[in-house]
Amino acid sequence: MARSHRTDPVLASYQEISAFLAEVERRAFKQAMFAVRDEHSAHDVVQDAMLKLTEKYSEKPAAELPMLFQRILQNTIHDHFRRQKVRSTWTTLLSALGKGDEKDEDFDPLETLPAKSDSNANADPAQLLEQGQIMAVIEQALTRLPARQREAFLLRYWEELDVAETAAAMNCSQGSVKTHCSRAVHALATMLKAKGVTL
Amino acid sequence: MTSEDTEFAKKIAAHLDRGAADLKAGTVYRLQLARQEALARLADPKRAAEPRLAGAHGLAGSGTVGGDHRFWASGRLWIGIALIAVAALGFQQWQAYQQLKDLEETDAAILTSDLPIDAYLDRGFQNWLKHAIDE
Repeated sequence: MARSHRTDPVLASYQEISAFLAEVERRAFKQAMFAVRDEHSAHDVVQDAMLKLTEKYSEKPAAELPMLFQRILQNTIHDHFRRQKVRSTWTTLLSALGKGDEKDEDFDPLETLPAKSDSNANADPAQLLEQGQIMAVIEQALTRLPARQREAFLLRYWEELDVAETAAAMNCSQGSVKTHCSRAVHALATMLKAKGVTL
Repeated sequence: MTSEDTEFAKKIAAHLDRGAADLKAGTVYRLQLARQEALARLADPKRAAEPRLAGAHGLAGSGTVGGDHRFWASGRLWIGIALIAVAALGFQQWQAYQQLKDLEETDAAILTSDLPIDAYLDRGFQNWLKHAIDE
Protein backbone atom coordinates (compact mmCIF):
# COMPACT_ATOMS: atom_id res chain seq x y z
CA MET A 1 0.00 0.00 0.00
CA ALA A 2 1.34 3.40 -0.91
CA ARG A 3 1.20 6.18 1.62
CA SER A 4 -1.73 8.04 0.04
CA HIS A 5 -5.45 7.49 0.36
CA ARG A 6 -6.34 4.70 -1.98
CA THR A 7 -9.72 3.42 -0.96
CA ASP A 8 -11.71 5.75 -3.19
CA PRO A 9 -12.16 4.26 -6.66
CA VAL A 10 -13.83 7.40 -8.09
CA LEU A 11 -12.05 10.27 -9.79
CA ALA A 12 -9.78 12.33 -7.60
CA SER A 13 -11.35 15.53 -6.32
CA TYR A 14 -9.56 18.88 -6.10
CA GLN A 15 -9.12 18.37 -2.35
CA GLU A 16 -7.70 14.89 -2.84
CA ILE A 17 -5.18 16.05 -5.40
CA SER A 18 -4.28 19.02 -3.22
CA ALA A 19 -3.81 16.80 -0.17
CA PHE A 20 -1.85 14.27 -2.20
CA LEU A 21 0.55 16.90 -3.57
CA ALA A 22 1.01 18.46 -0.14
CA GLU A 23 1.85 15.05 1.28
CA VAL A 24 4.24 14.02 -1.44
CA GLU A 25 6.00 17.28 -2.36
CA ARG A 26 8.84 17.12 0.18
CA ARG A 27 9.71 13.54 -0.61
CA ALA A 28 9.46 14.30 -4.32
CA PHE A 29 11.89 17.18 -3.88
CA LYS A 30 14.35 14.98 -1.99
CA GLN A 31 14.06 12.29 -4.64
CA ALA A 32 14.78 14.84 -7.33
CA MET A 33 17.70 16.16 -5.29
CA PHE A 34 19.23 12.69 -4.98
CA ALA A 35 19.04 12.36 -8.75
CA VAL A 36 19.90 15.81 -10.13
CA ARG A 37 21.98 17.08 -7.16
CA ASP A 38 21.00 20.68 -7.76
CA GLU A 39 18.36 22.50 -5.75
CA HIS A 40 17.03 24.72 -8.54
CA SER A 41 16.79 21.82 -10.96
CA ALA A 42 15.11 19.68 -8.31
CA HIS A 43 12.51 22.42 -7.76
CA ASP A 44 11.89 22.61 -11.50
CA VAL A 45 11.56 18.84 -11.77
CA VAL A 46 9.01 18.71 -8.95
CA GLN A 47 7.02 21.63 -10.31
CA ASP A 48 6.98 20.13 -13.80
CA ALA A 49 5.81 16.82 -12.38
CA MET A 50 3.05 18.52 -10.38
CA LEU A 51 1.90 20.50 -13.42
CA LYS A 52 1.85 17.41 -15.60
CA LEU A 53 -0.20 15.56 -13.01
CA THR A 54 -2.81 18.30 -12.68
CA GLU A 55 -2.92 19.13 -16.39
CA LYS A 56 -3.01 15.65 -17.84
CA TYR A 57 -3.91 13.13 -15.20
CA SER A 58 -6.35 14.92 -12.91
CA GLU A 59 -9.21 12.79 -14.21
CA LYS A 60 -7.77 9.62 -12.76
CA PRO A 61 -8.95 7.81 -9.64
CA ALA A 62 -7.34 9.00 -6.43
CA ALA A 63 -5.91 5.54 -5.86
CA GLU A 64 -3.79 5.83 -9.00
CA LEU A 65 -2.25 9.18 -8.08
CA PRO A 66 0.82 7.89 -6.15
CA MET A 67 1.93 5.54 -8.92
CA LEU A 68 1.11 8.07 -11.65
CA PHE A 69 2.93 10.88 -9.90
CA GLN A 70 6.01 8.74 -9.31
CA ARG A 71 6.04 7.70 -12.94
CA ILE A 72 5.76 11.34 -14.02
CA LEU A 73 8.48 12.34 -11.57
CA GLN A 74 10.91 9.67 -12.79
CA ASN A 75 10.21 10.58 -16.43
CA THR A 76 10.72 14.27 -15.65
CA ILE A 77 14.07 13.46 -14.02
CA HIS A 78 15.07 11.44 -17.09
CA ASP A 79 13.97 14.31 -19.35
CA HIS A 80 16.10 16.65 -17.27
CA PHE A 81 19.19 14.56 -17.90
CA ARG A 82 18.35 14.21 -21.59
CA ARG A 83 18.03 17.97 -22.01
CA GLN A 84 21.12 18.56 -19.92
CA LYS A 85 23.10 16.37 -22.31
CA VAL A 86 21.92 18.42 -25.29
CA ARG A 87 22.62 21.70 -23.52
CA SER A 88 26.04 20.71 -22.25
CA THR A 89 27.69 21.48 -25.58
CA TRP A 90 26.42 25.05 -25.50
CA THR A 91 27.05 25.61 -21.83
CA THR A 92 30.64 24.37 -22.19
CA LEU A 93 31.16 26.80 -25.05
CA LEU A 94 29.60 29.75 -23.31
CA SER A 95 30.30 28.93 -19.68
CA ALA A 96 33.12 31.45 -19.51
CA LEU A 97 30.67 34.21 -20.39
CA GLY A 98 28.12 33.03 -17.87
CA LYS A 99 30.52 33.17 -14.94
CA GLY A 100 30.02 35.84 -12.37
CA ASP A 101 28.27 36.56 -9.13
CA GLU A 102 25.24 34.49 -9.98
CA LYS A 103 25.28 32.90 -6.56
CA ASP A 104 24.93 36.25 -4.90
CA GLU A 105 21.97 37.16 -7.08
CA ASP A 106 20.19 33.93 -6.26
CA PHE A 107 20.87 34.25 -2.55
CA ASP A 108 17.69 33.95 -0.61
CA PRO A 109 17.85 34.65 3.13
CA LEU A 110 14.93 32.27 3.61
CA GLU A 111 17.22 29.47 2.52
CA THR A 112 19.34 29.84 5.60
CA LEU A 113 16.45 29.35 8.00
CA PRO A 114 15.48 25.84 8.93
CA ALA A 115 11.79 25.06 8.53
CA LYS A 116 9.75 24.68 11.65
CA SER A 117 9.30 21.07 12.41
CA ASP A 118 7.39 19.69 15.32
CA SER A 119 9.32 16.46 15.16
CA ASN A 120 12.52 17.86 16.66
CA ALA A 121 11.40 21.04 18.39
CA ASN A 122 12.36 19.74 21.83
CA ALA A 123 15.07 17.31 20.83
CA ASP A 124 18.52 17.15 22.38
CA PRO A 125 21.03 19.16 20.27
CA ALA A 126 23.61 16.36 20.45
CA GLN A 127 21.02 13.89 19.24
CA LEU A 128 20.02 16.26 16.45
CA LEU A 129 23.64 16.61 15.40
CA GLU A 130 24.10 12.86 15.31
CA GLN A 131 20.88 12.44 13.33
CA GLY A 132 22.03 15.12 10.92
CA GLN A 133 25.34 13.35 10.41
CA ILE A 134 23.66 9.99 9.83
CA MET A 135 21.25 11.69 7.46
CA ALA A 136 24.11 13.21 5.50
CA VAL A 137 25.83 9.82 5.19
CA ILE A 138 22.60 8.16 4.05
CA GLU A 139 21.88 10.89 1.50
CA GLN A 140 25.43 10.73 0.19
CA ALA A 141 25.18 6.94 -0.12
CA LEU A 142 21.88 7.29 -1.98
CA THR A 143 23.33 9.73 -4.49
CA ARG A 144 26.14 7.27 -5.14
CA LEU A 145 23.77 4.42 -5.99
CA PRO A 146 23.14 3.65 -9.66
CA ALA A 147 20.06 5.61 -10.78
CA ARG A 148 17.77 2.60 -11.31
CA GLN A 149 18.70 1.06 -7.95
CA ARG A 150 18.03 4.38 -6.21
CA GLU A 151 14.68 4.77 -7.99
CA ALA A 152 13.58 1.27 -7.09
CA PHE A 153 14.68 1.62 -3.47
CA LEU A 154 12.99 4.99 -2.93
CA LEU A 155 9.75 4.01 -4.64
CA ARG A 156 9.53 0.67 -2.87
CA TYR A 157 10.60 1.59 0.64
CA TRP A 158 10.14 5.34 0.94
CA GLU A 159 7.07 5.84 -1.19
CA GLU A 160 5.85 2.42 -0.07
CA LEU A 161 4.61 1.39 -3.50
CA ASP A 162 4.23 -2.35 -3.94
CA VAL A 163 6.41 -4.27 -6.41
CA ALA A 164 3.84 -4.05 -9.22
CA GLU A 165 3.35 -0.29 -8.77
CA THR A 166 7.09 0.29 -8.59
CA ALA A 167 7.54 -1.71 -11.79
CA ALA A 168 4.82 0.35 -13.48
CA ALA A 169 6.35 3.61 -12.28
CA MET A 170 9.81 2.54 -13.47
CA ASN A 171 8.51 0.97 -16.67
CA CYS A 172 10.30 -2.31 -16.03
CA SER A 173 9.50 -5.85 -14.89
CA GLN A 174 8.72 -6.81 -11.31
CA GLY A 175 11.76 -9.05 -11.34
CA SER A 176 13.95 -6.08 -12.18
CA VAL A 177 12.44 -4.11 -9.30
CA LYS A 178 13.28 -6.91 -6.86
CA THR A 179 16.83 -7.16 -8.19
CA HIS A 180 17.37 -3.39 -8.06
CA CYS A 181 15.97 -3.20 -4.52
CA SER A 182 18.10 -6.06 -3.27
CA ARG A 183 21.26 -4.61 -4.78
CA ALA A 184 20.43 -1.13 -3.48
CA VAL A 185 19.92 -2.39 0.08
CA HIS A 186 23.20 -4.31 0.06
CA ALA A 187 25.10 -1.42 -1.50
CA LEU A 188 23.66 1.00 1.08
CA ALA A 189 24.49 -1.37 3.95
CA THR A 190 28.07 -1.66 2.70
CA MET A 191 28.48 2.10 2.26
CA LEU A 192 27.02 2.90 5.69
CA LYS A 193 29.16 0.23 7.33
CA ALA A 194 32.25 1.70 5.68
CA LYS A 195 31.37 5.06 7.23
CA GLY A 196 30.82 3.46 10.64
CA VAL A 197 27.07 4.07 10.65
CA THR A 198 24.82 1.45 12.18
CA LEU A 199 21.06 1.87 12.08
CA MET B 1 15.31 -9.86 0.26
CA THR B 2 15.47 -11.15 3.80
CA SER B 3 13.42 -9.68 6.62
CA GLU B 4 16.65 -8.10 7.91
CA ASP B 5 17.11 -6.33 4.58
CA THR B 6 13.54 -5.10 4.69
CA GLU B 7 14.02 -3.89 8.26
CA PHE B 8 17.21 -2.07 7.25
CA ALA B 9 15.43 -0.45 4.29
CA LYS B 10 12.62 0.72 6.56
CA LYS B 11 15.11 2.27 8.97
CA ILE B 12 16.68 4.20 6.11
CA ALA B 13 13.21 5.31 5.00
CA ALA B 14 12.54 6.56 8.55
CA HIS B 15 15.73 8.65 8.40
CA LEU B 16 14.73 9.97 4.99
CA ASP B 17 11.35 10.97 6.44
CA ARG B 18 13.15 13.02 9.09
CA GLY B 19 15.32 14.63 6.41
CA ALA B 20 12.26 15.54 4.36
CA ALA B 21 10.57 17.01 7.44
CA ASP B 22 13.58 19.26 8.09
CA LEU B 23 13.75 20.95 4.70
CA LYS B 24 14.77 24.61 4.68
CA ALA B 25 11.97 27.16 4.92
CA GLY B 26 12.81 28.58 1.49
CA THR B 27 12.58 25.14 -0.08
CA VAL B 28 9.25 24.42 1.60
CA TYR B 29 7.92 27.79 0.46
CA ARG B 30 8.92 27.17 -3.14
CA LEU B 31 7.34 23.73 -3.09
CA GLN B 32 4.17 25.28 -1.73
CA LEU B 33 4.16 27.84 -4.57
CA ALA B 34 4.75 25.10 -7.13
CA ARG B 35 1.82 23.13 -5.69
CA GLN B 36 -0.42 26.20 -5.75
CA GLU B 37 0.49 26.85 -9.37
CA ALA B 38 -0.30 23.24 -10.31
CA LEU B 39 -3.60 23.36 -8.43
CA ALA B 40 -4.50 26.70 -10.03
CA ARG B 41 -4.22 25.02 -13.42
CA LEU B 42 -6.41 22.23 -12.16
CA ALA B 43 -9.06 24.70 -10.99
CA ASP B 44 -8.85 26.73 -14.19
CA PRO B 45 -8.04 24.47 -17.17
CA LYS B 46 -7.61 27.56 -19.39
CA ARG B 47 -4.39 28.24 -17.57
CA ALA B 48 -3.05 24.92 -18.78
CA ALA B 49 -2.91 26.35 -22.28
CA GLU B 50 -0.83 29.27 -21.11
CA PRO B 51 2.92 29.00 -21.41
CA ARG B 52 4.70 28.09 -18.22
CA LEU B 53 6.22 31.38 -17.39
CA ALA B 54 7.88 30.52 -14.14
CA GLY B 55 9.60 27.57 -12.61
CA ALA B 56 9.49 26.86 -8.91
CA HIS B 57 12.25 29.25 -8.03
CA GLY B 58 10.98 31.74 -10.57
CA LEU B 59 7.78 31.92 -8.58
CA ALA B 60 9.78 32.52 -5.48
CA GLY B 61 10.94 35.76 -7.01
CA SER B 62 14.55 35.00 -7.77
CA GLY B 63 14.03 36.40 -11.25
CA THR B 64 14.75 33.19 -13.07
CA VAL B 65 12.37 30.82 -14.73
CA GLY B 66 12.02 27.04 -15.10
CA GLY B 67 14.99 24.72 -15.68
CA ASP B 68 15.07 24.86 -19.47
CA HIS B 69 13.93 28.44 -19.56
CA ARG B 70 16.58 29.46 -17.04
CA PHE B 71 19.31 28.54 -19.49
CA TRP B 72 17.86 30.65 -22.31
CA ALA B 73 16.55 33.44 -20.13
CA SER B 74 19.94 34.12 -18.64
CA GLY B 75 20.73 37.75 -19.52
CA ARG B 76 24.46 37.15 -19.43
CA LEU B 77 24.15 34.34 -21.89
CA TRP B 78 22.30 36.48 -24.41
CA ILE B 79 24.77 39.32 -23.93
CA GLY B 80 27.55 36.80 -24.57
CA ILE B 81 25.85 35.55 -27.74
CA ALA B 82 25.35 39.15 -28.91
CA LEU B 83 29.02 39.97 -28.25
CA ILE B 84 30.17 36.92 -30.20
CA ALA B 85 27.87 37.88 -33.10
CA VAL B 86 29.15 41.48 -33.09
CA ALA B 87 32.75 40.26 -32.93
CA ALA B 88 32.19 37.86 -35.84
CA LEU B 89 30.56 40.63 -37.93
CA GLY B 90 33.37 43.03 -37.06
CA PHE B 91 36.02 40.49 -38.08
CA GLN B 92 34.25 39.87 -41.38
CA GLN B 93 34.07 43.62 -42.11
CA TRP B 94 37.72 44.11 -41.20
CA GLN B 95 38.75 41.24 -43.48
CA ALA B 96 36.75 42.71 -46.40
CA TYR B 97 38.33 46.12 -45.77
CA GLN B 98 41.83 44.61 -45.73
CA GLN B 99 41.20 42.80 -49.05
CA LEU B 100 39.98 46.05 -50.62
CA LYS B 101 43.00 47.91 -49.28
CA ASP B 102 45.39 45.29 -50.69
CA LEU B 103 43.72 45.53 -54.09
CA GLU B 104 43.93 49.33 -53.99
CA GLU B 105 47.63 49.17 -53.15
CA THR B 106 48.29 46.72 -55.98
CA ASP B 107 46.36 48.90 -58.42
CA ALA B 108 48.20 52.01 -57.25
CA ALA B 109 51.58 50.24 -57.58
CA ILE B 110 50.76 49.08 -61.11
CA LEU B 111 49.46 52.47 -62.21
CA THR B 112 52.34 54.48 -60.74
CA SER B 113 55.01 52.05 -61.97
CA ASP B 114 57.44 53.16 -64.72
CA LEU B 115 56.59 49.98 -66.58
CA PRO B 116 53.70 50.45 -69.02
CA ILE B 117 50.60 48.49 -68.05
CA ASP B 118 50.61 46.70 -71.44
CA ALA B 119 53.85 44.99 -70.46
CA TYR B 120 51.95 42.90 -67.90
CA LEU B 121 49.68 41.63 -70.68
CA ASP B 122 52.56 40.84 -73.07
CA ARG B 123 53.42 37.12 -73.01
CA GLY B 124 56.92 37.76 -74.38
CA PHE B 125 57.67 40.16 -71.53
CA GLN B 126 56.42 37.63 -68.97
CA ASN B 127 58.69 34.91 -70.47
CA TRP B 128 61.63 37.32 -70.42
CA LEU B 129 60.88 38.21 -66.80
CA LYS B 130 60.67 34.52 -65.83
CA HIS B 131 64.03 33.73 -67.47
CA ALA B 132 65.63 36.81 -65.91
CA ILE B 133 64.49 35.66 -62.43
CA ASP B 134 65.67 32.05 -63.06
CA GLU B 135 69.11 33.30 -64.08
